[in-house]
Amino acid sequence: MIWVRRAAIVILILVALGALFGPAFAPYSYGEQFRDAPSALPGGRFLLGTDQIGRDYFSRLLYATRISIVLAPAAAAVSIVLALLIAPLGAGRGLLRPAVSVFTTICLALPWIFLFIILRAELPLNTSPVLSVLATFALMGVAGWAWPARVFAAEIGRMENSGWLLHARACGIPAKRIAIVHAWQHLRSVALAQFRVLVPAYILAEASLGLLGLGVPEPLPSWGNLLGDLRHPDLVRANPWIMAPLVLLILVMICLETLGSAPMGEIE
Amino acid sequence: MSDQGSAAHRKRTTLARRLTHSLVALVFAVVVGGFLAAALVRYSPGFEIDDNAWNPQISAATRAVIHARREYENELPRFYVRYLAMAVRGNFGESDSFHVPVSDLLRQRAGVTVGLLLWGVGGGMLLGGWLAWLAVWPRNGVLAVTSGSVSGLLLAIPPAVMALAFFLWDVPVALAAVLAILPRVYGTMRSVWSGLYGSGSLLAARARGVGRGALAWRYVILPAAPQLIALTGVAFVTAFGVLIPVEAICDVPGIGQLTWHAAVARDLPLLCGLALIITFIVAAVASFGDWIEGVEPV
Repeated sequence: MIWVRRAAIVILILVALGALFGPAFAPYSYGEQFRDAPSALPGGRFLLGTDQIGRDYFSRLLYATRISIVLAPAAAAVSIVLALLIAPLGAGRGLLRPAVSVFTTICLALPWIFLFIILRAELPLNTSPVLSVLATFALMGVAGWAWPARVFAAEIGRMENSGWLLHARACGIPAKRIAIVHAWQHLRSVALAQFRVLVPAYILAEASLGLLGLGVPEPLPSWGNLLGDLRHPDLVRANPWIMAPLVLLILVMICLETLGSAPMGEIE
Repeated sequence: MSDQGSAAHRKRTTLARRLTHSLVALVFAVVVGGFLAAALVRYSPGFEIDDNAWNPQISAATRAVIHARREYENELPRFYVRYLAMAVRGNFGESDSFHVPVSDLLRQRAGVTVGLLLWGVGGGMLLGGWLAWLAVWPRNGVLAVTSGSVSGLLLAIPPAVMALAFFLWDVPVALAAVLAILPRVYGTMRSVWSGLYGSGSLLAARARGVGRGALAWRYVILPAAPQLIALTGVAFVTAFGVLIPVEAICDVPGIGQLTWHAAVARDLPLLCGLALIITFIVAAVASFGDWIEGVEPV
């Protein structure tokens, strides 16, 4: 199945390149309205047609891909960094260990979507779209630390009983050096595996929230709020191309899942 | 004999410790969750606005006294104690947008959500278990790839989109919940079945010619029961998150739709009340699942 994984990597690289450089080649800005052409069908002027208020769908899709593809990994990185900071506390000794364990259990039990929705509702109504989108993904990053922290704490616990660590301690290597040089080598692959799990989860979460009108706010496009157009069946029937973000989302998710199930060494 | 006795004692002690850990986590969840909810309600926009400020029949001195009393009562620690005491009695305040007590709204809508949860978790576990079974037991590569692909495809579709498609095609909403839960339990069930498939006791029982039914019950279902119950707890937690978009999009009058309405209307008392109750239920289910997972299989 290695060719499937290679194909997934190629597709993801193409989508990432499209996300990074696509907007530079977008025919129009994501917010530019053409009032003479609302709900226009695909054609020479508008490659994928326009939305109900006359914005070019293709341009919006390129910008949306950039937001979803760049910010979901950024949010996943925030979760991983937080987890890496908290996990050693949970693997330590004394009262901190059960306290962190209980706190992690609670955060795992919390339906995070509720927390997210509450915090989104707390944002002032006049928050700018860019700040709002950053807050949306930052909240995802902060809310998602618990699971990787538990995995890291378990890994650190395993390391504590390992021969190499005892040997390093016996050799008098300082704890800081053990943590940075040796322990990180072990944790790195676990962190990357967790990162691979979190990225699709955040892309999917943004899509679901966007469809409900609770994700990235207009006029900024994201896969989530572009999917909102699917709520109008007449629009879908008239212009099936508005399903393009859904197709792209599913394709990217399948590629990420394919890589997520692959052994780390194979991807590296 | 004494070895057996001490092993049993150790097992009992471990179970008791896990139970205590779960109960502490549950109490902690309520206390911390309550505090967060109270803090969010207390500092929500418009909370400090007092109707008396516009009442011309009240003198300035009386207004000042009322204002001072409100400020005293609304200091966060006092407000928190009052909020938690009310919450323990089942009073979560009044919704800003519906103008009815939050507990009444929950009572009216709980039945619908519980029904969907049961369908989603039950159906998702059964279908997911069956698909995972197909991937492992018949030892057929095509079946394994097909079941993995079905699960992967379902995982790639946002539950909200699935709900929307079912709503537009007039398919029962419960099926959307089932299909949203299925891929989220599939992976774990597949590894549970794989682990059991290679177990020595199962191979030995097969070699002894134990019948299929007895084989499935004694060597698969019973040993996997603690893990399956724990997984049900996880599925339950996931289902709460999945049901919000499903209910909101399919116009199902349940707690998920209520949450979405509260978020759109920025109704913080309702949101916090909902979050507190659901955190308690979910923490209780997850703790029970964690505890059960520690119970050794029969």
